Amino acid sequence: MSSDVRSSAAASTTSAGKKKQGGFLSRQAKSKQTDPKDIVYEADLLRKDFVTPEDVLRLNSVTEKYLCPPEANVYGIDFTRFKLRDLDSNTVLFEVAKPPPSDDADPNAGRFVRYQFTSQFLKLKTVGATVEFIVGDKPVNKFRMVEKHYFRERMLKCFDFEFGFCIPHSRNTVEHIYEFPTLSAEEIKDMIDHPYETRSDSFYFVDDKLIMHNKADYAYNGGTM
Amino acid sequence: MGLLTILKKMKQKEKEVRLLMLGLDNAGKTTILKKFNGEDINTISPTLGFNIKTLEHRGFKLNVWDVGGQRSLRSYWRNYFECTDGLIWVVDSADRMRLQDCKQELHSLLLEERLAGSTLLVFANKQDLPGSLSSEDIRKTLDLDNIKSHHWRILPCSAVTGENLLDGVDWIIDDIASRIFTMD
Repeated sequence: MSSDVRSSAAASTTSAGKKKQGGFLSRQAKSKQTDPKDIVYEADLLRKDFVTPEDVLRLNSVTEKYLCPPEANVYGIDFTRFKLRDLDSNTVLFEVAKPPPSDDADPNAGRFVRYQFTSQFLKLKTVGATVEFIVGDKPVNKFRMVEKHYFRERMLKCFDFEFGFCIPHSRNTVEHIYEFPTLSAEEIKDMIDHPYETRSDSFYFVDDKLIMHNKADYAYNGGTM
Repeated sequence: MGLLTILKKMKQKEKEVRLLMLGLDNAGKTTILKKFNGEDINTISPTLGFNIKTLEHRGFKLNVWDVGGQRSLRSYWRNYFECTDGLIWVVDSADRMRLQDCKQELHSLLLEERLAGSTLLVFANKQDLPGSLSSEDIRKTLDLDNIKSHHWRILPCSAVTGENLLDGVDWIIDDIASRIFTMD
């Protein structure tokens, strides 16, 4: 398992979708989730030439595989920093810069991150998750992120955000500040007792085509905050 | 029902507000954004792209775009006009040398069709610096009184002390809300 933060899992914190949270499409996705007719399966998407935001919004669980190869990122988009802060205590919970590239032969190195949190993490109220990314020498149009968080089979949250245009050779940051939902004691216990069964997929699109797919999983049973 | 009406209705449901923060380089845009959100402002370097923050404020979902102001980046500003509800123009009130440049850039933005429906807030920033011009002086130098195309307001502010940042953001939201969210 790589400890690379490259996937950086924007707003990597787990949260059970607060009412009205997420964009119009994400809520569409949630409502669609209940309609079996609209569900799309990973196997279907693996057969496609390219995957669209609408495709992944219709998935109802984490994927086992990556839905695009690392080479799909022809724009030189690279996540370089990730920061998480607690706005109530005004403290930075953690901040990680991307480690220098390794000689790792695994082409999927850097696409997966494992987070280990303490149980206190699930009691946070307002958090800000910042990612920093750089862009290569081509302009990027319609850059969009869809990030889906699950505990087991249940979707906790879906982020759907369009960055839009990115300037060539730019360095950009995005911070999502959001209310951490109050989870029930039972949910919290379940998530603590089952490390790494909280998982997320981060999908990045340019012009509605999937160009990056990163994954993360989460434990809340110790480790560092 | 026209497309605009439908879009406005969708926005009304979301109560989503898009603010675009522009100004010359070193005006203090990023510092304002960070101070407003309670972040450390001691280590801010020139923005060579954008900084976005999404947050909830008074029941609105604010999407704030801060785009770098260096001359080489200004030609990219137009890529961020679409769907902008409010334009925050940040002025370095102590940078007397570049106020004419600042005035020209602002007035050319106001001609942009895609910004036509947006509210304008001018922040006369860096009021904490000795020798900074008052917001009255900035108002005259930037010829704000001749702006008839947009709702506008100027406020003196300091990104370092936080003076007036909240007042400014609240005003622009109120103005946008009165234009967009109350219609039916």
